[in-house]
Amino acid sequence: MIQGKAMILLASMLMLGACGGGSSNAGNAQGSGGDQSPSQPPTSIPDGQTPPGNEQEKPLTYPQMSVAQASRLLHQGTMGPTGAEISAASKLSAHAWIHDQFSQPITYHLPLLKLSPGKDQASYSNRIDTWWRASLSSPDQLRQRVAFALSQIFVVSDTGNNLRSRPEGMLNYYDLLLKHSFGNYRDLLQAVTLSPVMGTYLSHLGNEKANVELNIRPDENYAREVMQLFTIGLEELNLDGTPKRDSNGNTIATYDQTQIEGFARIFTGWTFAESTKWKYPNKDYLNPMQVWPEYHSELEKTLLNGTVVAANEGPENALKLALDNLFQNDNVGPFIGKQLIQRLTTSNPSADYIARVSQVFNDNGSGVRGDLKAVVYAILMDQEARDLSQAPEHFGKLKEPLLQTAQLWRELNAYSQSGYFYTWDLASTHGQVPLGSPSVFNFYRPDYQPLSLAGTELVAPEAQIANSATSIGLLNYHYSSLVWRIASTKDQTAGNQILVDLSPHAQIVEQEGKAALVEYYNQVFLSKQMSDELRQELLSVFDWAAKYDLEYQIAYCLFLLVVSPEYVHQR
Amino acid sequence: MDRRTFLSLCIKGGVSAAMLTSTQLSAMQSLLNQQHYNDYKALVCIFLLGGNDSMNMLLPMSGQDKADYLASRQNLAIVDPVRLSPISTLPETGLNPALAPLHELFNAGDLAFVGGVGTLSAPTSLDDYINKRSHIPSHLFSHNDQQARWMHGKEKQSINTGWGARMLELLEDQPHFASNISLAGTNPWQIGSKTSAFAMSRTGQANISAFSGTNTRAVQLEQSVMRQLAASQKRMAKVYGDGLTQGIANSQAMNASLENVAPLPDFGEGRLSQQLQTVARVIASQSQQGAGRQIFYVTMGGFDTHDEQVTKHPELLAELATSFSEFNQAMVSLGVSDQVTSFTMSDFGRTLSSNGDGTDHGWAGNQIVMGGAVKGQDIYGALLPQRLDSEFDVKGGRLIPQVSTDQYSATLAKWFGLSAGELNELFPSLSRFDQQTLNFMT
Repeated sequence: MIQGKAMILLASMLMLGACGGGSSNAGNAQGSGGDQSPSQPPTSIPDGQTPPGNEQEKPLTYPQMSVAQASRLLHQGTMGPTGAEISAASKLSAHAWIHDQFSQPITYHLPLLKLSPGKDQASYSNRIDTWWRASLSSPDQLRQRVAFALSQIFVVSDTGNNLRSRPEGMLNYYDLLLKHSFGNYRDLLQAVTLSPVMGTYLSHLGNEKANVELNIRPDENYAREVMQLFTIGLEELNLDGTPKRDSNGNTIATYDQTQIEGFARIFTGWTFAESTKWKYPNKDYLNPMQVWPEYHSELEKTLLNGTVVAANEGPENALKLALDNLFQNDNVGPFIGKQLIQRLTTSNPSADYIARVSQVFNDNGSGVRGDLKAVVYAILMDQEARDLSQAPEHFGKLKEPLLQTAQLWRELNAYSQSGYFYTWDLASTHGQVPLGSPSVFNFYRPDYQPLSLAGTELVAPEAQIANSATSIGLLNYHYSSLVWRIASTKDQTAGNQILVDLSPHAQIVEQEGKAALVEYYNQVFLSKQMSDELRQELLSVFDWAAKYDLEYQIAYCLFLLVVSPEYVHQR
Repeated sequence: MDRRTFLSLCIKGGVSAAMLTSTQLSAMQSLLNQQHYNDYKALVCIFLLGGNDSMNMLLPMSGQDKADYLASRQNLAIVDPVRLSPISTLPETGLNPALAPLHELFNAGDLAFVGGVGTLSAPTSLDDYINKRSHIPSHLFSHNDQQARWMHGKEKQSINTGWGARMLELLEDQPHFASNISLAGTNPWQIGSKTSAFAMSRTGQANISAFSGTNTRAVQLEQSVMRQLAASQKRMAKVYGDGLTQGIANSQAMNASLENVAPLPDFGEGRLSQQLQTVARVIASQSQQGAGRQIFYVTMGGFDTHDEQVTKHPELLAELATSFSEFNQAMVSLGVSDQVTSFTMSDFGRTLSSNGDGTDHGWAGNQIVMGGAVKGQDIYGALLPQRLDSEFDVKGGRLIPQVSTDQYSATLAKWFGLSAGELNELFPSLSRFDQQTLNFMT
């Protein structure tokens, strides 16, 4: 049944591809590499409102996307699009697709947790299995992608610490990111701050006021990282993300030890919810932390921009004032906005692109600051993201390894006979693990510049994990997950092996020929930007591999495709 | 590697020399045209990620120093240190008992400590710090910035390279890929302007499944992949294409040279032990690779002990000491212990004061150097008083370093073969210190 349905969508999509997608932008044929976008798309528009400053202009219309345009948008806004999703999206405008995604119910991960057979406790492997199943099959793909991006900014990790034995807590933390992905950044910041998982990871859970006799002062860990990584960064920024300079041309630090100590006092007195004890508390990794006022420092607290929280303000009010102080800082828009752009669309956004997104962060058009829905919309609908014909040569980003595998498995309806997606040692095979970064600094830094870009202004964050060890790990993973996991070659004893169903693709070859399949791949994997050279490489597989079964030919073809620079460079 | 090995490698991989890309060829070429050193030397950097509470490795054992220590460290104080007998006359100093395996190496003269080391751009006083004078390193107490300062050997600039890679580039025009090896991925120490680390997984490099064998599939897939990688056009695509092309060529060459390595003494199962075992295997095969100078980067995580320090830190130190001891054993068995020097770096030391359950980010710390060329059984640098509000304490027991990371690193670089002039080029702020290098290397 499902296969049949997929085939109809496939066929309709191929037709769309052939006749220009039925959109008003039929010009973006294959080979041109260009994607003629409509004139500048509107910036943030909350539902049902006219965009600000455009009151005098005629109502905006949103053109239907071509297949190429739909494919590009979905590569930026899903965990890896399938042919069926691209086909469906190509009947919509970009605006309509994004809004449809905004309206999808949230697929939370914790409810999908499945224990292993015979076990009465969830394990780390169950957590990773849940992430895969939710990421692959949930309809709210844009939210899943944004939450994945947020998980790389508001980093917690169960690599090398005791959170590894708290899979429910970790899943619940991811759910918190999902919940707020299209909400307000201020709420997200508070939820993250009070998460017992974050409290454990950055050690503000159980953090006490000073004890002068014992030389004990408040733990500074969260105070430091919430500023350096989750809100404002180290240097004062302009709206466009460039650093501000003092009269000597030097950058300006956003905070020093005084603010660290001020915020460290803010984050005292919090521990697990409903604990009956402060020391050796009852551990609830799901509900937000609660405060024990007697352990909170009631001393004065110096925050940013000269703000001081007076002594004896009370722990809850002090926290509110402190998070407001961070949230209202001018750096947040460009600091967070740029990183979200880097996770979704391009490693090297222009200063103007960053400024447009920061502006939306500062004001969504209705006077609301921190509206992440508006920010995501602005990132995806920006002319720099949508209009490839105007984009610089270096536009785009290296696809994250986990997103490469996710797209393959989504398109190939991956499954295992046991129903589990057990993946071992993702750190070696992919260089990244969901909620499993080696440190709070994520898998890569936003300003990482590989040697091959030395002397340019360009960065390629994801290249930081594409070293020779992990690149070969990924090369081997792609090979084994395609060639050694073809469903039709397995009997009923494959168990936990994650199998890929290549039969729909085999049907395309049988019914329409190999060129049709390669063109289908062009649409699904390369947004119709495939070079003639790559097309020839893929077509030639069906000649040199003709002696192998058709599904092996297809597996080789897919392998060559996903390791190609054209695929890895999301553009 | 000689030409015959190189050719047999081509055949093994199913490619003729004509099929090789220019990058592969240049990788092979550098194997053949290696500058020949009369000797072999290797530096092994063991980076303790997170900021090791290294003031708690070396402990005052008597008098006011001990009283100050107990007062500042409170429940984090180590009360049962192992007495050290250094060659130099020093205040009575003990070793954290978790480091017991190092005691033997220390006494055998194969290991030394360097005290009071941290990031500095010039000699620095408390007054300089309070008045925020311009030579104070930027972003003190921040993990990634301080890690980078250690590894860059200079303050951050628009283009940043590591002193490890720069050192290789001063020694050779085009460093051999096998001269610059990381067991822990990309890092600031090994990025230069011409060279970056060849990254191996901690248990060695995997063979490439798709290219294994000599059948049509293996040959065609390898050729097709290499053609595509070489055909990368756009800059971002080339970052990937060029990187993987080199990674494949170098991995194949490395695996060929590792095939004949004889078994080494046992290493444990820990991550650091596994990395060091792979380093030892590469060193064992170095005569085949032909790199006369090698630098290695390995890491151990978990040192950011903001909480549960009392239980966590001794476990970390014990694992560290065991791995050091295993690696030393391997170097002795290979007969290269005089030629291989291992040393620690870490983000920073930690606060002497406690946050109740652990410590926060500090500044100065102590480091470990090991190898036959180390003037062992001694403590160099400065043993800083572990006293709050001393002249070295900027607040809360964050101590101002008395030895700069650059002086420490320059001592190692000098042993590696760099001239005084080259050291100043490598570490621009070195000239601000009276003493460019310490005395811990022969």
